[in-house]
Amino acid sequence: MGARYGMVIDLDRCTGCGSCMIACASENNVPALPQASPRTGLTPVLVRKVSNGQSGAGRRETFIPIMCMHCEHETPCVKVCPQQAVELDKATGIVMQMPQRCLGCRYCMTACPYHARFFNWWDPAWPQGMEKSLNPGVAVRMRGVVEKCNLCHARLHAAKEKAAAAGKRDIDSSDYVPACVEACPTNAIHFGNLADPNDPVSKEARSPQAFRLLARLGTEPKVYYKSTENWVRNLAEPNSAQGSEVQHG
Amino acid sequence: MKLSRRDLLVWSAGAAAGLLATPVPWKILDDTSIWSQNWPWIPQPARCPVETRQSVCTLCPKGCGLRVRMAGGWAVGVAGLNTHPLSRGALCPLAYAAHQLNWHPQRLRVVQHRTNPSSWEQARAAFAKASKEGPVVIIDGYPGRAASALFETYTEGRDGNYCVVPSPEIRALTPYESWTGVPAHCLGYDLENTRTIVSFGAPLLDGWGTPGRFTRIWADRAAGRSDPELRLIQIDSSLSRTAARAWRWVRSREGTHAALASGLARALLEQNLVPAHGPIPATTLAESAVQCDISMEAILELGRSLVAKSPTLVIARDDSPAIAALNVLLGSVGARGGVVRHSQHSNLRSYTGSDVQNARAVLIDSSVPWNFMPQTDAEVFRFAAWHGASTKADWLLPAPGFLEELTDVPTPPASSLASYAVAPPLVKSATEVHSAAQFLSSIDARLIPTEKMIYTRCEDLFRRRAGTVHAHSAIPISELASVQKLVEQLWQGAVWVGEPSPDKLRCRLQEWPSATRSSPPDDGITDWIPPVMPALASKLYVESTLREAAERRKAWAPATAW
Repeated sequence: MGARYGMVIDLDRCTGCGSCMIACASENNVPALPQASPRTGLTPVLVRKVSNGQSGAGRRETFIPIMCMHCEHETPCVKVCPQQAVELDKATGIVMQMPQRCLGCRYCMTACPYHARFFNWWDPAWPQGMEKSLNPGVAVRMRGVVEKCNLCHARLHAAKEKAAAAGKRDIDSSDYVPACVEACPTNAIHFGNLADPNDPVSKEARSPQAFRLLARLGTEPKVYYKSTENWVRNLAEPNSAQGSEVQHG
Repeated sequence: MKLSRRDLLVWSAGAAAGLLATPVPWKILDDTSIWSQNWPWIPQPARCPVETRQSVCTLCPKGCGLRVRMAGGWAVGVAGLNTHPLSRGALCPLAYAAHQLNWHPQRLRVVQHRTNPSSWEQARAAFAKASKEGPVVIIDGYPGRAASALFETYTEGRDGNYCVVPSPEIRALTPYESWTGVPAHCLGYDLENTRTIVSFGAPLLDGWGTPGRFTRIWADRAAGRSDPELRLIQIDSSLSRTAARAWRWVRSREGTHAALASGLARALLEQNLVPAHGPIPATTLAESAVQCDISMEAILELGRSLVAKSPTLVIARDDSPAIAALNVLLGSVGARGGVVRHSQHSNLRSYTGSDVQNARAVLIDSSVPWNFMPQTDAEVFRFAAWHGASTKADWLLPAPGFLEELTDVPTPPASSLASYAVAPPLVKSATEVHSAAQFLSSIDARLIPTEKMIYTRCEDLFRRRAGTVHAHSAIPISELASVQKLVEQLWQGAVWVGEPSPDKLRCRLQEWPSATRSSPPDDGITDWIPPVMPALASKLYVESTLREAAERRKAWAPATAW
């Protein structure tokens, strides 16, 4: 088995600034269309605000960045795609979306338990001239297909090219950092290889404060969260989140 | 065999049904779909090599270090610069889409005179005429630059006024001006060495000061720890972003921060938690508790938290003297981990409404927040790179946009050390734009151009031989061989950082300030508001509910849609 790229997001550090959302959109040439709404917008990383459900001085809130969890086992979107447009890359553990194969049926959106997939309703468009500011390493997002986080796959390609040019087989871990990880002003998002037991991220994922969303489904998501607060950890399973309140993004 | 019409129809129907069982129609459908998804008019990114340049953000005075990815002469991506000693690799959310701002539909591309297109020649003629007829006032939002020096020189020679619209961070430091004799622009907070921070509504984790500076310190020393090395106590009427992440959130009634500060000071003195050697606040603990809707015990507990881990630093959102006086009581003015002096600037005049009373013309630099509107009958010349929702300016003059202008970056507000950087022009402007300094230089040829002034400032830094240049590594300036080397480093995105000021900051408080609510500033600005937001800000404000645009911001900057 190759690498298993994943993340540990320290919710105690997340201030809900939204830098990850904007950096992700900028890196992946996601347009900001005037007709988009919270229901129809394209936000591969979406920060949601959650609270402990209390009011007054006892109220507590935290922010949870939600993106594709890159499920390792029985990946729901892979299982339902009739076009084989989604696959789990065995070499990296990244759940890849191939827009050229996608016919836009949106079964994968229904199947995804994390609501981390978005349908692209419109042709990409920018104000006149703004196309000059697009990232040359990434294609624009085509209409009529489902989109999601691919852990900035273009950056992985660039890191591989760099390693190949230097005559190396493996990439340098510092060369492959997704845009959201790089942008986080509090270093709340940690990225690394979960298959390497010595990787700091792998160690963090095994800490008692780490948890995964909807772990009971057995899909083995590769995005972990971390919090010292019990009420936040309890949110991971909806049944135990009584009294909590989620503000949907 | 005779082929009947019926046979032909049966065969055709059979062929059509059979064709559906082959991949051909589906392949055609798929290819048509892909073809229609890639119309030739859909914009495509340029295919050219990408290089990375370093610079400093000049969208606001906080001076964050940037790594700018460039392709074909245009900026195609922005990230934080890890080697920058203040921002430490972090940026505000909007900076990640700042490279798209130059193409914003509301980019100001032509000179406008009362909403009609005009020309630079006409604007120059109008300003030159006004300058001859009466006093000129120049208003700056980013003091300390070479351009600011040029503004001062221009007004000095013409019986005019140069004044500054201070940032909220500087405004919060103004009470210390009268107590220490040091201008607020020369003061800052030693956040790196403090152990307890009490914030009276200041959004420390949400865009306050240089964004990366406090967030990085907080993340390293405070986040998620039950007994952190740095305790952040947030006093707010509602659960703000900073309050949500603070070590402790103290909920007080809206607009009662000054009363709470006075009650807290009284509690500290009565409980002998601080030495009593100054004036005593008139507000009692009980009065404060009633006004703030907090129990007396909670205020006492807050007082004990203040002194449990010192040094303690109190930071206010506004210029309330009662809150600032707490730092005097705690001995935090001029002390390590408190309010410190970073440099020796001349006194800058903050804008007041009376400045523009008798002016013939008012020139507003593009660094002034868009929501600033002087109440005057004078002719107003407003420089701006983008056209916000509304303005009362007579003249709108297109200024350089993001990374389009050579400018220097002086010490950011609230910094504890002096710093100096240069933002070189990395991209060209598609239309004719001029900064306010270039505009004035074209009217008065005696003014020294900003490029030359920046070079002179580099020479001064080199002559003093103090401080460190932070490039890929930190190099003491004394180790640089020549001023050319320094200029080279600064032009490539390095930052000069000075040493702690040797001057002792002395503070004298004659009487305890009143706990009344502070009055709104003359310019009505309590927040720094840009003319427009980057289009991708819609991810935060429109395509999700992560942030709700404040009513005022909605009025001023609705232009996330285009």
